[in-house]
Amino acid sequence: MASTVDRTTSLGGKYLTFFLAGEEYGVEILRVQEIISMMPVTRVPRTPPYIRGVINLRGKVIPIMDLREKFGMPPATEPEQVMIVVQVDGVQIGVVADKVSEVASIASADIDPTPDFGTDFHTEFLLGLGKSNGRLRLLLDIERVLSTDEVAAVTSIPALAQGT
Amino acid sequence: MIPAELNDAAFIIVQLQPDEHDDIKALRDTLRQFAVFDATASTQVRAHAHQAATVLNLILLGGSADAPALLARAGASIESAMTASEQASRGEPRATKTDLIAIVHEDGDAGALSDAMDTQAAPPARSTGAAASGERSLAPTTVAPSPAVAVAPTVTTPVIVHATAADGGTVPDDADRSLLGDFIAESRESMAGAEAALLELESNPDDIEAINTVFRAFHTVKGTAAFMGLDRLAEFAHHAESLLSRVRDRELPYTQAVANLSLRSNDVLGGFLVAVETSIQSQQPIALPSDYADLMHDLLNVDAVLAGVETRVAVQSATATALPSAATTPPRTDAEPSVDTAARSSAARAGPKTEADQSVRVRTDRLDRLIDMVGELVIAQSMIAADPAVADSGQHELVKKVSHAGKIMRELQDLSMSMRMVPLKSTFQKLTRLVRDVALRAGKVVELVTDGEETELDRNMVDAIADPLVHMVRNAVDHGVEGPADRERAGKPRAGRVTLAAFQQGGSVIVELRDDGRGLNRERILAKAIEKGLVSPHQMLTDSEINGLIFAPGFSTAETVTDISGRGVGMDVVRRNIESIRGRIDIHSVLGQGTTFQIRLPLTLAVTDGMLVRVGDERYIVPLTSISLSFRPEPGMLSTIPPGGEVVMLRAEVLPVVRLHQLFGIPAAVTNPSDGILMIVGDGEHRVALLVDQLLGQQQVVAKALGEGVGEVPGISGGAILSDGRVGLIIDIARITQLARTGDARPIGLSQAA
Repeated sequence: MASTVDRTTSLGGKYLTFFLAGEEYGVEILRVQEIISMMPVTRVPRTPPYIRGVINLRGKVIPIMDLREKFGMPPATEPEQVMIVVQVDGVQIGVVADKVSEVASIASADIDPTPDFGTDFHTEFLLGLGKSNGRLRLLLDIERVLSTDEVAAVTSIPALAQGT
Repeated sequence: MIPAELNDAAFIIVQLQPDEHDDIKALRDTLRQFAVFDATASTQVRAHAHQAATVLNLILLGGSADAPALLARAGASIESAMTASEQASRGEPRATKTDLIAIVHEDGDAGALSDAMDTQAAPPARSTGAAASGERSLAPTTVAPSPAVAVAPTVTTPVIVHATAADGGTVPDDADRSLLGDFIAESRESMAGAEAALLELESNPDDIEAINTVFRAFHTVKGTAAFMGLDRLAEFAHHAESLLSRVRDRELPYTQAVANLSLRSNDVLGGFLVAVETSIQSQQPIALPSDYADLMHDLLNVDAVLAGVETRVAVQSATATALPSAATTPPRTDAEPSVDTAARSSAARAGPKTEADQSVRVRTDRLDRLIDMVGELVIAQSMIAADPAVADSGQHELVKKVSHAGKIMRELQDLSMSMRMVPLKSTFQKLTRLVRDVALRAGKVVELVTDGEETELDRNMVDAIADPLVHMVRNAVDHGVEGPADRERAGKPRAGRVTLAAFQQGGSVIVELRDDGRGLNRERILAKAIEKGLVSPHQMLTDSEINGLIFAPGFSTAETVTDISGRGVGMDVVRRNIESIRGRIDIHSVLGQGTTFQIRLPLTLAVTDGMLVRVGDERYIVPLTSISLSFRPEPGMLSTIPPGGEVVMLRAEVLPVVRLHQLFGIPAAVTNPSDGILMIVGDGEHRVALLVDQLLGQQQVVAKALGEGVGEVPGISGGAILSDGRVGLIIDIARITQLARTGDARPIGLSQAA
């Protein structure tokens, strides 16, 4: 795996940015397949809490992920507006966002490595911090968001079961 | 160690009567198979086995009054093979070439005679014997290339006798034409792939993957050809494959010479395919491809050829006289092997049209996508038809047009579904062969009757039941049917009968396997189950419950574990495989009279008939095939069993109640069963009463995977798009009943319920 320095130097490019719980996040535009407005989601029992459910995307059933749940944030107070469908390794998955902001070009020079918060678990889902137009964007490592946490979810299920 | 095939053969041949042609035929095929394919046995052992097969063939070809003597001779050859393999396993030196020559001499006349009779179409003037003896008289000379007669030392291996026969045999009478067509089409593809790989190897000789591709192509052709009874083709493919396997094992470098041989092999195989096609149409014996004799010779003497020794001249003169059927193609006179391969292969491809050309091969994923899309179209159409803007518009013309479009779409759907349907015929045919082989090994006489093999089933399902059926048929022959002596004692005909039948019943296809054997011994099954701790000794079980025990993992009642079956793995896998395609398996058995296995399968996997149910705000689809009854229970029918178990009593049957809302953690659902609906689901002993709020109606749905992001969800088999465009989840009844049984039906919250 490339070191953090290597990664940040090659991170410049276009990002789709969106709002989630007051913060602005960015996801590489090449990963984004489409943005759809919020629609009813069919809940799926016995799945980790961050799997909101599944939707019908033109005949294909795709799962919807709740980033608030995943990042341990409190539930939304305002209605969420959109789902961003991303594609990673051929797997399509929808990510719920409060609303979409813009497509921003962020130069490598404007991307800082994520500061180490020590015990804070969530920074590993970030590629880095992007600065443009005087705003700070949290650039998501969407591949990690979709894959690494699966492991976390699986390991947390037995704990849940024991709790009941 | 003596190979099992030889042991069995020896055992069988001492009991054989000269007029038991079917058994002789089976034994001959087993021996041939062994001789050609068993690479673990030494050449000498295989030569003897081959010889025995050849002698048996003589009996089959008939005419000879001396069948008993020939039988004895075959027996002697089998004995020689066993002796040879014993010697080999004791580490004694392998047979020298002189020994091999001796084997040929010893049985040579029979060999020549057999080949003469093998090829009735050939003019009597043909002199295989002369050719063979001519080869034999060629003394090994020094390695120096000589324009006259220089022969590789191995030229007198017994196989060569076979190789100089005049034609490629005949297409077996019992061969299935459409299977042959498939075989030819598939083999053509393999050959094309192999050729591409061979050309790739020209520029990159170290590409081991390319070698493997070619190897696999030859191997596949070999296996299928042997199955089709095209022995000559199989044998040739075997030798072509052997060369490549040596390259693969890094025994030989991939030199230009090897490349030439492989390309020629590929062409000859292509030629064989054309010849088989021609033979099917003309009803004539299969003509050997033009380069066959030369190439076979080169392959058999591969080391000499690769060492640069010219070995072809002598055999060429022999084959020139012995190959009348190849007269249409000019005999090869030049010594350079690969100059005209291109011309020949293109000629080979311009062969006559057959059934194989009448169909287009489509990738299954494309077909699946098409079926998916058509399914979507049907849903989209029904959404339009149900839209108030259309339905309540009062415009009759518009409504009429919409419903007309709907009719066409449903027809389109039926058509697209039918594209995946294939007849069970080829599956059944493979089992015919299996029954013969297993019966032979088990020393039994078994007749297989098939019925309804034209019944069609979804391609995926045909694939999915193939393995379970193999297992069940093996069991039926090995354990079900008794040996001939036992059968006579029981007053049954000597020959056991296994019936394989398929038919449609309602929306299902039933595949039935019946044997008239000893039947399931329930006492023994029960004893065994108690011994293995599967049931407690005090448990009262019904007959069908006891029958069902054979599906328990690790269960086997066979007293001896044979190499065919009885290892105790299997029936549980059979059941699981069948359930995985939403099928069901039932057993009926009468002691002493036989056992019937009935597999019930849905017509297709693509479309599920489902009952849409509501639980709280959620909707689920329950497959219709697993519902036996739905009703609103009276309070008196329900009882609670501490600590928290709930049962419903229905016509003297007591069934556990599974609350779907609890299992799936759905809020705001009906909690009092008397206010909701109980659905009796599952099969046999695994029935439960599933509590839902309301039945919404019946619906056909196209089952889809939930997407990789979700993974496997216990109790949910997939999703489907409902008529309002939302996703409905399909309930996995087998899993639900299992969860209920294992007591794992405790509530686990929905994501939001936490």
